[in-house]
Amino acid sequence: MPAGRVLVVILVALLTWTLMYAPALKRAAEASPLGLRRSASLVVLTPIAAASEFFGIDALAETIERAVGRPPRAGGAFVPPPDDVPVVPDPDPDDPGNGDGSGNGPSEETEPIRVPAPTRRLRVAVIGDSLAAGLGYYAERVFRPRLVRVSRQGRISTGLTRPDYFNWPLAMRRIVDSWDPDLVIVMLGENDHQSIQTVSGQRVAQIGTGEWPAEYRTRVLQMMRIATSRGAKVVWAGLPMSADARFSEHSQRQNDIFEFAASISPNVVYFDAWERFRSPRGGYTAYFREGGRVLLIREGDGLHFNSVGYTIVAREIAEVAAQEFGLLPRTFETEL
Amino acid sequence: MLFPTVDFAIFFVLVFLGHWLLNHLAQPWKWFMIAASYVFYAWWDWRFVLLLATISIIAQLGAIAVARCRTPRTKLAATALAVTALLTPLAFFKYYAFFAVSATNTLTSIGINSSLPLIQVVLPVGISFFTFMAISYVVEVYRGEFPVAGWTDTFLYLSFFPHLVAGPIVRPAELIPQLAERRDERHVDVAGAAWLILGGLFKKVVVSSYLAAQIVDPVFGDPARRSTADALFGILGYAIVIYADFSGYTDIAIGVAKLLGFRFPKNFDRPYAARSIQDFWRRWHMTLSRWLRDYLYIPLGGNRRGERRTGWNIMITMVLGGLWHGAAWTFVLWGAYHGALLVAHHVRARRTPDVPPEAWLRVAGQRVATFALVCVGWVFFRADSLEIGLSLLGRLVTGWSTPNEFVTPLVVMIVFGMLGLQFWPRGMGLWLQAGLSRLKPVPLGLVLSLAMLVIVILGPAGVAPFIYFQF
Repeated sequence: MPAGRVLVVILVALLTWTLMYAPALKRAAEASPLGLRRSASLVVLTPIAAASEFFGIDALAETIERAVGRPPRAGGAFVPPPDDVPVVPDPDPDDPGNGDGSGNGPSEETEPIRVPAPTRRLRVAVIGDSLAAGLGYYAERVFRPRLVRVSRQGRISTGLTRPDYFNWPLAMRRIVDSWDPDLVIVMLGENDHQSIQTVSGQRVAQIGTGEWPAEYRTRVLQMMRIATSRGAKVVWAGLPMSADARFSEHSQRQNDIFEFAASISPNVVYFDAWERFRSPRGGYTAYFREGGRVLLIREGDGLHFNSVGYTIVAREIAEVAAQEFGLLPRTFETEL
Repeated sequence: MLFPTVDFAIFFVLVFLGHWLLNHLAQPWKWFMIAASYVFYAWWDWRFVLLLATISIIAQLGAIAVARCRTPRTKLAATALAVTALLTPLAFFKYYAFFAVSATNTLTSIGINSSLPLIQVVLPVGISFFTFMAISYVVEVYRGEFPVAGWTDTFLYLSFFPHLVAGPIVRPAELIPQLAERRDERHVDVAGAAWLILGGLFKKVVVSSYLAAQIVDPVFGDPARRSTADALFGILGYAIVIYADFSGYTDIAIGVAKLLGFRFPKNFDRPYAARSIQDFWRRWHMTLSRWLRDYLYIPLGGNRRGERRTGWNIMITMVLGGLWHGAAWTFVLWGAYHGALLVAHHVRARRTPDVPPEAWLRVAGQRVATFALVCVGWVFFRADSLEIGLSLLGRLVTGWSTPNEFVTPLVVMIVFGMLGLQFWPRGMGLWLQAGLSRLKPVPLGLVLSLAMLVIVILGPAGVAPFIYFQF
């Protein structure tokens, strides 16, 4: 086929695809960080998505999505689709107390975390963004399976500023109500360097303004309240320093909010990952010294941890839980 | 810039237009394509562009120096110098952290409290691929198999965006002559290209992403608590993931090159249908296999110096091939494992030659055995450590009483479906391509958009990086 006609093929394919998929593309653009790229994408996609919906062209994508068992991704107000809601594990067949709320009732006092047994294992949920997604895998290694059951609930690209993209308070409520964890480990915030929106996508606090910390603190406190509402203990891990210094100041402000919120919330303790994994000179380092050994703990992206790093983070969090909530040392590995 | 993104789609439309508009103007076309390729690469990090340009300059200066040397000895010295200079950035970026940590810990263990600077080194995407191509160019000039190319040709050969970040590793003779020819704008194989691009997208976006998230990551993340079936399908799943991920990328790269009128060498040829480990390496990452053969194994002496020396040459080649994939002992082990299998294959082949005709049962047995051996190797390739790899293999026999968590009918179907495709008749693809090529531009565009829509809907939100980018 001549090149000119091939160009027609490519343009027809791309434009038709864009038209059919525009609402979902627009939603993805809305969920991306604020900036020129997001603005430009929305300027282009908003009229295309409107046309797609007006003429019913998006119906084909929705039909295919339903045919393959997925709810349509397009749409106005946020309704959490089943595949976006964390899948909590089935009840533990060996655990008679699982899921019925009898493990720990709501409590305002700091009581020690319950003593697990092989027939009634401790339930640990790891919540948050991609850092938590990585941490979840390695928490499974660190906590001893005979006594602890870990539920990995990390969701990439999520945070507390954009419930129109992923509604963490709602997801947390479902996890707490249906699985009744004993310990909740939270690690999120790396995607929250942006203005805060409501569930329906309206901006409520512009980043960089005085409203932002107040609104963010409200959301953090809400998450802590939900997580502890059935008696669970919470270890809230702060953001670790990243190699990209552009966001350092903002991340530190977020950490201040996490730490403050934890200090006034019963059954919540803050783990200072920033301080724990920085270099002795106070800057970013990808390495960690332990027992005379040097270990590479960060990925090349300067943000995420590698397998060794996540294992250390999980172990340190378990140690914090042991110290603050009486988690038994025999429930987790202390060596790498 | 990742292939399966809107960014790349917009980039490619612009490049396609510029490419064919400038096709008849040799030099402006080359400058345009170099600029486009550097923009493609700078999308990750503009600083990487400096490295790519530096490698291109070293390769060209090296080739010129080698060509100007009069005596074999000076030619060899110039080649060695150029290859060393080309390998130095690769060694630094890829192995510095591994070396610094190992050296510091070794010194500490013998009581010397000293440390190399512990700096974070970010691995530039695709550095291994364009470094190998640069070495290929210098060595071929040294051997007299390829003349010194012009500066623009060398820059474009190394940076040409379809192969830039994950191959295939194209030889100078396969690409540089094509840069000098005028591409035929009357005959663009759009059906063949679409088949490769959509097939590659399907493998990457749907198959690889699904299996990785559904079973491979959780199984390799914590093998000690997985059931036998989870462990087995985690391993089989990873065999499919790495094949779908890498061959998917290569297919897209070859298809994109095809739309621009270029021919790239094949990189995969149904590797899991191999009947021996040697056969596997003739089908898996074929352009790397032949690179290792031509620029490492044969210069080491190949099979010309007796059985024992051949064995050593294979082992050295495969261990270095393993290390090329990453700075970790698991990659070294993976390379050594394949080296040992290849040595065993050579010894056996010399002593018991095959006797045709062969029964189908024997052929099937060879295929299953080869696939099983390859899968064992993948365990160590994917595992974070030797202990994790051994733990996972152990669960194959000790995990019977553990309930299954990750094996689902869909996982089983995808694994066996993808394995079944290794035996898909070659003519079927051509038949479908022929059907596509009969369509007029607008209907063809509509069919392709529908296929893209299905792929995007079946895939997860976002696209994970290609596994081979890190190599």
